[in-house]
Amino acid sequence: MGLLDKLSGWLGLRKKEVNVLCLGLDNSGKTTIINQLKPANHSNHLGPLSEEWKHVSQTQAQEIVPTIGFNIEKFKSSSLSFTVFDMSGQSRYRNLWEHYYKESHAIIFVIDSGDKLRMVVAKEELDTLLNHQDIRSRKIPVLFFANKMDLRDAMSSVKVSQMLCLENIRDKPWHICASNAIKGEGLQQGLDWLQEQIAQSTENNEHMNE
Amino acid sequence: MSDSGSDGGKWLDAHYDPVAGLYTFSSCMDLADLSGDGESRLVVGDLGSGSSGMKLKVYRGTALMSESILLDLPAGLVAFFMDLHEPRIPAVAVASGPCIYVYKNLRPYFKFTLPGLEVNMLEQDVWQQVREGQIDPLTLKEMLESIRKQADVPLSVRSLRFLSLDGSDMDEFVQLHKQQPIRRQTVITCIGTLKKSTADEDGVSCLVIGTESSDVYILDPEAFIILSKMSLPAAPTSMDVTGQFDVEFRITVSCRNGNIYILRRESDKPKYCIELSSHPVGLVRVGKNVVVGCTDESLQGFTQKGKKLWRTVLSAPIITMAAMNLPTRGFQAVLVGLANCEVQLYRDKNLLSTIKTPDVVTSICFGRYGREDGTLIMTTKGGGLMVKILKRTAEFDDRDSTPGPPLAQSVRLNVPKKTKLYVDQTLRERENGLAMHRAFQMDLSHLRLAAAKAYVKALESSLTPMSSSLTEPLKMNAVVQGLGPSFKLTLNVQNTAACRPVMNLAISFLYDESLYRMRSPYMRIPLLVPGLIYPFETFVECTSDKGISDIIKVFILHEGKSSPLLTAHINMPVSEGMTLN
Repeated sequence: MGLLDKLSGWLGLRKKEVNVLCLGLDNSGKTTIINQLKPANHSNHLGPLSEEWKHVSQTQAQEIVPTIGFNIEKFKSSSLSFTVFDMSGQSRYRNLWEHYYKESHAIIFVIDSGDKLRMVVAKEELDTLLNHQDIRSRKIPVLFFANKMDLRDAMSSVKVSQMLCLENIRDKPWHICASNAIKGEGLQQGLDWLQEQIAQSTENNEHMNE
Repeated sequence: MSDSGSDGGKWLDAHYDPVAGLYTFSSCMDLADLSGDGESRLVVGDLGSGSSGMKLKVYRGTALMSESILLDLPAGLVAFFMDLHEPRIPAVAVASGPCIYVYKNLRPYFKFTLPGLEVNMLEQDVWQQVREGQIDPLTLKEMLESIRKQADVPLSVRSLRFLSLDGSDMDEFVQLHKQQPIRRQTVITCIGTLKKSTADEDGVSCLVIGTESSDVYILDPEAFIILSKMSLPAAPTSMDVTGQFDVEFRITVSCRNGNIYILRRESDKPKYCIELSSHPVGLVRVGKNVVVGCTDESLQGFTQKGKKLWRTVLSAPIITMAAMNLPTRGFQAVLVGLANCEVQLYRDKNLLSTIKTPDVVTSICFGRYGREDGTLIMTTKGGGLMVKILKRTAEFDDRDSTPGPPLAQSVRLNVPKKTKLYVDQTLRERENGLAMHRAFQMDLSHLRLAAAKAYVKALESSLTPMSSSLTEPLKMNAVVQGLGPSFKLTLNVQNTAACRPVMNLAISFLYDESLYRMRSPYMRIPLLVPGLIYPFETFVECTSDKGISDIIKVFILHEGKSSPLLTAHINMPVSEGMTLN
């Protein structure tokens, strides 16, 4: 880091860029969450969405088609500039995930809380992810969204974390958030936690560098 | 929630409810996207207790979504597209008794009844007379009995029921039923679907039904009229259908006579027949081949023309079978549920994996359930429901477990080109085959005659080292040891009689005295106990230094007889000791 870069960083002119991987099974709501985070980000500048525009964001959520391959979305928060890799969750594209592990600074793992049957599949994919050589030794923060809380038969976030055996993750900071991506509930809370973690880890890194 | 080790960690245990109260067979289970939202549901025809509690149940994920009462025991259940309406939602057809109940959006939509069968005229007359009051129930019973014995056309269910009644109930039964006309109905034994004109996944399908009267009907999905009727030699038990009705199709039916018949579009009679050595339990199509499970605990593969490809023996009786098709990975195999609480996966005759289950599996269904393509659904004898999901990373290695032909067998041999000589020889053999055969047979006879003559001569002069005479059956062999000039000669003599000892024998040698010197050219043999081997040793010294050898003849003689019992010729080796010196 040059002196100018540092200076601009301190002054908040230049935001630190982070890569975030958004993973999870198909139909868990990854793209919906990312789409929700984008306008939520804009609303910081433009003010909260007015009532007559709210339906626009909702129809947006409904028209979402299954992602093919992956999408890259960029948005900014108060201190960070996020580049999100919204990976497709379909089983035929899941082998793409591992190619992006190395460059990522954080992981968002989305779970469909209403899909009890496929919880084992989500757990299997999570275990594969955490045991991957590019992830295993790193202290990378993992944010879980127990999504689709609006469904009648949705499981609570506690139940989801039990079924995924999240208590076994000891070497990485993790956090689970109940969310409803269609309405945007719970997303900001999760993102705040993620920002905090990333800020902490960069501080640690800088300390180590110095 | 963890994967069990027995199946090599290929399956994820998604759900197990041991008390789901689901009693069914593979033929009464199907997976279909019943609401058009991309999530497949499990549709089950539940047999209940067998006499009551028959239900049509629909599962979504781990939960029962809906259930409706069925009037009769389901014999088969299929989901099929019956029209081209959007959204594409399949209908469910449940076959029970002589009817097919069609459900759309899980509501009763249509009931199709099979056409009635021909009624016995005599039987009809008799009931007519009963209606007019001309005969009483006892006479009716007698007349029906006689009709049953001689008639070509079987009696109706009503008459058969009547014949089984006691005297007291007969009157009431007759009063209750005599006004209705007699009908004879067959019942459905199996049901399948056949695409009408396109091979698309969501193309309109015809229903194919097999009946107790040994017929196969193909029904139009919209009008429910019989498009085609085919007859079989026996009542079908299960079937597999492939192809399209308007193009070309094949119906493979396993029948109650233990045979499998293959029907095709052109004819109303079976085109091919596979005769099995034991009764079929299940029938599954894998690609172009048919895999049949039999009651003799075997799995057999056949081509679609009925040629047998392979047979493999299983560890327990087969309870149920299902196909495992995974088109995204191009994987096809057969799942076999066994009586020893195992579900085995076979690709051709090779066992790929074994799943241990807590109870005997009575029905298996593999396909897309929910949003997961590779889902295995099983129900158990105790009414449990089990759902397993194939891991994304699971791979089945196709190692050949049975010792087959070695690899070297498939290596092509470098066969040389046919030479002119070869061709000439072949021509000659073709033209003079008869003469050559005769000449060969003649020579062979000569050879045999010569051999027989020599043998007789040997027997007559007791030249053999074995005596088969009844009084002194003996066997002898000789061993020469040493390099020379002195040799050790060991004669092993055995009495081969069952229990009689032999006495008064002697050994004598005949040799060229200018060549050999023998320490004892005559030996007396003690009593020979049957079975034991007696070694007799003597030493021979070669007196010649010219490096030549000769034969020494050994005779076993009986005292007082001049002809020997046994004769042996010993080819002496060349004395090497002398030549070295």
